[in-house]
Amino acid sequence: MIILEDVYYKYEPEGIDALRGVSLQMKEGEHLALIGPNGCGKTTLIRHLNALLMPTSGKVTVGGCSTNDPTHQADVRSLMGMVFQNPDNQMVGMTVEEDVAFGPENLRLPTPEIKKRVAEALIRVGIPDLACRNIENLSGGEKRLVAIAGVLAMQPHYIALDEPAAFLDPAATKRVLDIIDKLHSEGVGIIHITHNMAEAALTQRIVVMNEGRIYLDGTPQEIFGKVELLKQIGLQLPQITELLIQLKESGLPVRTDIVNMEDALEQIRSLAGKIKD
Amino acid sequence: MYHTGSFIKGQSLIYNLDPRVKLAATICLSVFILGVKPLTAFVIGSALLFATLASGIGLRTIGQALRPLLFFIVLIFLVHALFNEGDALIRIPFFGISLSYAGLQQGFFVVWRFLCLMIAAILLTMTTAPSQMIVAIKFFLKPLKLLRVPVDDIAVMIMLALRLMPILLTEKEKVETAQKARGYNLRKSGFSIRIKAFLSLALSVLTGVFRRADELALAMEARNYKRGERTSLVELKLTSSDYFVLIFLGFFLVIFVALNSHFG
Repeated sequence: MIILEDVYYKYEPEGIDALRGVSLQMKEGEHLALIGPNGCGKTTLIRHLNALLMPTSGKVTVGGCSTNDPTHQADVRSLMGMVFQNPDNQMVGMTVEEDVAFGPENLRLPTPEIKKRVAEALIRVGIPDLACRNIENLSGGEKRLVAIAGVLAMQPHYIALDEPAAFLDPAATKRVLDIIDKLHSEGVGIIHITHNMAEAALTQRIVVMNEGRIYLDGTPQEIFGKVELLKQIGLQLPQITELLIQLKESGLPVRTDIVNMEDALEQIRSLAGKIKD
Repeated sequence: MYHTGSFIKGQSLIYNLDPRVKLAATICLSVFILGVKPLTAFVIGSALLFATLASGIGLRTIGQALRPLLFFIVLIFLVHALFNEGDALIRIPFFGISLSYAGLQQGFFVVWRFLCLMIAAILLTMTTAPSQMIVAIKFFLKPLKLLRVPVDDIAVMIMLALRLMPILLTEKEKVETAQKARGYNLRKSGFSIRIKAFLSLALSVLTGVFRRADELALAMEARNYKRGERTSLVELKLTSSDYFVLIFLGFFLVIFVALNSHFG
C-alpha cells in the first residue's frame, strides 16, 4: 500500500508549494493514471514515492516504509521503481544488459542472480534479443522498454512511469502500453502520468491534479463524466467520449459515460440497429 | 556510432581472453617498449602485428584508428629527424637545422615505439567491452581500498564518463543544428563572430550536458545507487588460454630482457 498523508513540498524554502496537502492511498496491483495540466505537481508527486524528494511536511509510506527514514530508503526504492520521462537521461550502461543490471548491482546481488534478473526483465518487456545491443543504437520505443526492464530487474511492487509514451510513434506507443498492461495483469501496481486522455481511460482509477492539489479522484467513467470541471483546468475528454457527447447534443439517444472504444462501438451499433428498425 | 578505438564485437582468442590478462599484458608491453633498444622494439612490434592479425580486428581497422594520430606521428618523426646532432645529410638554410642519418634513425625508432604503444592500446580497447575493462581496472585498483581509495566509485565514474561521451557529441550536434537552423553561417563569418559562435556553442553544450548529468544522477539514485561497494554483472574467470598467455608473456619478457641487455 502507498499512503500519502497531507504532503506539502517546496523546491526552495521561500518558493511556492509544489504540493499542497496531498493525501492519497493506492493499493498493491492498482493501475492509476495521474493527469493534470503542466506544472500541477504530477512529477513532484511521483518523485516522493521513490524517496527522491522528501515532503516539506506530511508523510509518505510505501509498503509500510516511511520515505523519511534513511534506513528504509533502499527498501522504498526496491519496492517502487521509477521510469523517467526521457529514457536517454536514465541509461547508465553502455549496452542493454549492462543498463538493466545497474539496479541489481546496486542491490549488491551475486552475479548469477543479476544475470537471472536481467534475462527475466528483458523477457518480460519482450526484448531478450537486444541484450548485447549498444544503447546508442536503440529506437525511442526500445529505449523506453529498456528503461522499464531496468526497473523490473529490481523486482518492484509498484512502478511509476512519467509519460511513458511521449514522443513515440503509434506502433511504439502500443508496444509500451501493452507492456504496462501486461505488468499490471502480473500484479505490479502502476502509476502512469499522461497527457493523453485515451491512455488514462484504460486505467482503473484516475487522479487529477491541479495547482499542487488532488482535484478529482475516481474511475475513468466518474472523472470523464465531470466535463465542466475538467474543462475549467484546461483538460479534454478522450476523443471517443467527446464524439458521444456531440452525438447526444445532436439529439441521438447515446450514453456519454463511455471512455473506451469497445463500449463506444457497442453503443453506436445498437444505435444503428434502432435507426434501421 | 563508431569512435576511434571503441569496442568492436567479435570472436577470437584475444577477444575471449580475460580482460585482466589483456590489461596486464598491455601495461607490461607498454612499459617495456619504452625502455628497450631498437632490435627488441622491432621484435615486440612484430609480435603486436601478429596479435592484431590473430585478433580478427584487421590491419585496415587499426590503420583507420591510427589515422587521427597521423599528424603527431609525422611531427614526432620530423622533430627527431631534424633536430638530432649527427652528420648532416641535408642542411636546411636559414633555420640552422639539418637532416642527419642518426636523426632519421632515431625518428624512425621513436615513431615505431609510439605506434607499438598505440596499437597495443587500440587492440585492448577494440577487443574488450567497456564493462569488462571497468571490472579489470577495479580488480587492479582493489589493493588501494586499504588506503581508503574509493575504488568502486572510480569504476562508476569511468563507466559514466564512457556513457557521457556520446551524449556530449549528440548535444554538440544538436546545438550546431539549432544554430544553423537560425541562419548562423560560420563559413561566411569573420574571426570574432566565429569565436562568439564557439563560445555560445560551448556554453549551450555544457548547460545541456550538466542538465542531463543532473537527470542521470537522479535516475541512478532512483535505482538505489549509493557510493561504495557494488556487485557486477561481469564475472571474471581465468581459463586455460589465459594461463597460457600469462606464462607465454612471462617467458617473452624474460627473453627480451636477456636480448635487450646482451644484443640490444
